[in-house]
Amino acid sequence: MMRKSLTILCILLIGAWLSGCATMEPPKEKPYKVMPGGMVVWEDEMEFKIPPPEWKLLRVEMGENDINFGFMRSDPGGFPSVTTFAYDEEPFGCSAASFEGREREFFKRFLFNAILQFQILERKKVQVVGGEGLQVDVEGKDPIKGEKVRARVVFGKRGERIIGFYITQWRPMAGTYDLSAFDVFDKFVSSFKYLKKSFYETL
Amino acid sequence: MEGHQRNLYLYDRFNARVVGVSRDDVITLKYFAKDLGLTFPLLSNPTGFLGVTFDTLVEGKPVFRRRTVIIDKTGIIRYSRDGSPDFKDILLFLKKLNQEGGKK
Repeated sequence: MMRKSLTILCILLIGAWLSGCATMEPPKEKPYKVMPGGMVVWEDEMEFKIPPPEWKLLRVEMGENDINFGFMRSDPGGFPSVTTFAYDEEPFGCSAASFEGREREFFKRFLFNAILQFQILERKKVQVVGGEGLQVDVEGKDPIKGEKVRARVVFGKRGERIIGFYITQWRPMAGTYDLSAFDVFDKFVSSFKYLKKSFYETL
Repeated sequence: MEGHQRNLYLYDRFNARVVGVSRDDVITLKYFAKDLGLTFPLLSNPTGFLGVTFDTLVEGKPVFRRRTVIIDKTGIIRYSRDGSPDFKDILLFLKKLNQEGGKK
């Protein structure tokens, strides 16, 4: 009788163990592949130069199916010393006719939670993703919180739509910026290539 | 709304038109459209009767639940999804609908 009960218990335990396995989530596939030479292929759709290891991958999904990801690095110094850069398939705004129009729309909402007073430091035409683009350097200050941010936004085109890259570097008001992070960002942007047409171009 | 504005050229390609419906008043919608640079019509429906038609009324609140509805040229609702619009899904559906229309 005892042996029979133990056998049933074992079967139940194995059953429970197997059912536990059945409900386990499959491991998530990484959205990127690291290629020889330090290049990364992202979802078989684009490639770019991987930043140094201190930059951690930051995946941002806005819920509207746009490809949107970036990298983040904690910087020495007091809060809020951090640098983040990202690629954004659909930057704020909707103008596609001109970069200048999109820039105006974009800066209405860029970092809008922070309520910053932005000052444009430089605006220039650049080459990006194989075509003409616009680069805008800004600095924003929040005198109430005693924080500041330096940012660079690069607009380019993918098919008929405008895409964006941006880097933000936050510092306490008395802190100094580390512009070497902007060089990493520039390398990321200049290495960026599309490997196939976007969803919108295939419609 | 910005997503729809970005996609207007594609809606046009698929013979589709977009309108937004809100319970806000006309003046609020005018400012909203101007601020976001929207060029498609926004319909003001403060009494909320369109919420009955599309089943988007929220009990006790003067707003509509977010829903995307696609109506074909014969007036039949062919697509209805709650929540934030899935633009890729919408575009694929419109493309299919346009192809169907072209075959008739």
